[in-house]
Amino acid sequence: MLRVRFLAVATSCCALTFGVAACGDDDEGGGSTTAGGKTLTIYSSLPLQGASRPQSEDVIKGERLALKQAGNKAGDVRIKYVSLDDATAAAGKWEAGQVSANARKAAQDKNAIAYLGEFNSGASAISIPILNEAGILQVSPSNTALGLTKSGAGAEPGEPNKYYPTGKRTYGRVVPIDTIQGAAQAQYMKDEGVTSLYVLNDKEVYGLGVAKNTEDAAKKLGIKIAGTDGWDGKAPNYRALAGKIKASGADAVFTGGIIDNNAPQLYKDLNAALPDAKLFGPDGVATVDMTKEIPPKVQAKTYLTAPTVAPDELPPAGQKFYKDYQAAYGEAEDQIDPYAVYGYEAMSATLAAIEKGGDDREAVIQAFLDTDKEESVLGPYSIDEDGDTTLTNYGAYFAKGGKLVFNKVIKGQTS
Amino acid sequence: MSGGGPTGSAPASQQRAEKSRMEAASVPARAGRRGLTDSARSFISRYGLIGILLILPVAFGYSDLQREGDLSRLATNLKDGLSNGAILALVALGYTLVYGIIELINFAHGDVFMIGTFVSFGFFGTIGLTLATGPLGLVLGLLVTLILAMVACGTLNVMIERVAYRPLRNAPRLAPLVAAVGFSFILQNVGLLWLGGSHRSVPDLINSQKQLFEVAGVPVSQGDILAVAVTIPLVFVLAGFIVRSRIGKAMRATAQDPDAARLMGINVDTTISFTFLVGGLMAGAAGLISALYQTDVWFFAGFTAGLLAFTAAVMGGIGNLKGAVLGGLIIGCIQQISDNRIGTEWTPAIVFAYLVLILVFRPQGLLGEQTREAG
Repeated sequence: MLRVRFLAVATSCCALTFGVAACGDDDEGGGSTTAGGKTLTIYSSLPLQGASRPQSEDVIKGERLALKQAGNKAGDVRIKYVSLDDATAAAGKWEAGQVSANARKAAQDKNAIAYLGEFNSGASAISIPILNEAGILQVSPSNTALGLTKSGAGAEPGEPNKYYPTGKRTYGRVVPIDTIQGAAQAQYMKDEGVTSLYVLNDKEVYGLGVAKNTEDAAKKLGIKIAGTDGWDGKAPNYRALAGKIKASGADAVFTGGIIDNNAPQLYKDLNAALPDAKLFGPDGVATVDMTKEIPPKVQAKTYLTAPTVAPDELPPAGQKFYKDYQAAYGEAEDQIDPYAVYGYEAMSATLAAIEKGGDDREAVIQAFLDTDKEESVLGPYSIDEDGDTTLTNYGAYFAKGGKLVFNKVIKGQTS
Repeated sequence: MSGGGPTGSAPASQQRAEKSRMEAASVPARAGRRGLTDSARSFISRYGLIGILLILPVAFGYSDLQREGDLSRLATNLKDGLSNGAILALVALGYTLVYGIIELINFAHGDVFMIGTFVSFGFFGTIGLTLATGPLGLVLGLLVTLILAMVACGTLNVMIERVAYRPLRNAPRLAPLVAAVGFSFILQNVGLLWLGGSHRSVPDLINSQKQLFEVAGVPVSQGDILAVAVTIPLVFVLAGFIVRSRIGKAMRATAQDPDAARLMGINVDTTISFTFLVGGLMAGAAGLISALYQTDVWFFAGFTAGLLAFTAAVMGGIGNLKGAVLGGLIIGCIQQISDNRIGTEWTPAIVFAYLVLILVFRPQGLLGEQTREAG
């Protein structure tokens, strides 16, 4: 009898576990598949679970808006949009196995023409080789890690060639790379009177890269580097690490990493140990969720950069984007994530490439790499041979009242 | 062939006699060597262990004296280690109590602790404890939350024992171990459904990192006081309870020999359930302290804390209450010194290197095992 009862409970528990696992399944967005003409699929792969979810949702809204405004078409080709989740509930952020599964799903779909993602550079390091072998255009709305496209300071040995097994480039991005963000961060620090900086990274591809780029840029501007270290996203607190930074005498800390790696706790502990120190963070922590999670006294010491500037600093097309976005989704302007506009532009540039290349994957990739826009929501830009944008503007932000408050535009000067 | 070796030409009987004489002569020499080895091993076990434990503090203390002229940084590391370790110690008590009585590594215990942090966090919101709550309301609210978290975790632990472990009491030892791992995953998934996969910030109700006073350059915060002020009384109450109370004696008797205990009229099943209850109560208390001290809750926190707490229990001597507390405090200190001086990426490796070294020198743990296996 006991055994029967035990089995019943065990079965229920298994059912519960599988039920929980099922909650992390992909979300498949709708798209136009009406009769007439060729229908191709654009996949989007972003983290839809964990702290990055609100950010990803706004990127998807931007992508959908661009597609809707294009009439769900690129030239004569009808477009089906499929949204995939590259995060798992258990990881609470992007997860390598899920990223790989998403990329393989697109690679095995003969109608796939482009793949928008990933949000995180570390995730793209996994999906780029898979899509490269499949010959599918990949456009990221948010990757900033240098090593995905270029070699040099901030890139790991073997980067970027190891991501392109065919030897041909299939990946591009519409957001400026971390050498530019690093330069913008260093300029922001200089403007705020920083003299001695402690550099932290979250030990991921993106965090290591942006930390190295910021460190190099800060040195060039005469800011002393008091020390460098990594932080463990699974640690319960960072008091000892904060104590170490305090002992170094730094008057500012740069945190190269993403919000999902326990960044709010890191900021709280840093502020407690170094109440006078300024806390600088890159776009990985420049999110509305981050500013909501840290208390006001920490917000007052927080300085962030994101590749987006205030709507009124954008060209007319960019300002129109914000109006259209608010009309479509009813979100207040200060609640729209900075990356929403990049989601829009990633989709727009991809649709333009499909319009030129049609259903020929190779032609679409080449068309994207030849992008030279005189007008876009981000202003005029082109894509270089490595797949990088020529945009250099970075927005400097404060955190106030649980929101990101735009401060000024900083042009990232890399030389 | 004359003039050969002493054994080469001698008759077989003579050779055997010679061999036995040599063996007899060698016995005292080997015994002497063995005695020397044993005493060396005993010396190393006793003092080498102390040496190992002191490697990091002495090395960094010396470095501090050379550089800064005082030991305040090292003392701050040790103070932080004690307050972090106090939370681990409470969790470690649950591991050691259960292992002591049924020789099961209850892998779900760390996740019971995690549920304690979630219950505390949830109840703060339910009763409206915020940063604006006055001191009296805060103390009363936290007291009620402490009781609720302890009762919730205690009840949960008893239910786990009843559902997963009791039916497997006479099964091969691997079966309850697998059940424990299974329950660990189930509780993790409950946490995941409850608050999602991200870290959640807890309102800093006690102003955890606010400095209360300073002793010889060592700042003592409100969080440090809370961790120690809750842990020490609980450990003393628990130790006194197990030594003096009737059910405590029954727990010890069951731990030593369940069959003999049963023959003496002790209800072994009830006693084991009670042990799980006590372990759960401790995990609940640790859950509240952790939520207030770390100001962060996460569904995966139980795995990390559970692993460290289990390590603490083994380091101190599994089944030994004082050992679990000592192990927790030592691991807390090693963690803080490593985080502060060496680098967070090295901390897990250093903690487990310490565990391996301690077990090499003293397999029974620092204060000795108290299990049926150990006698």
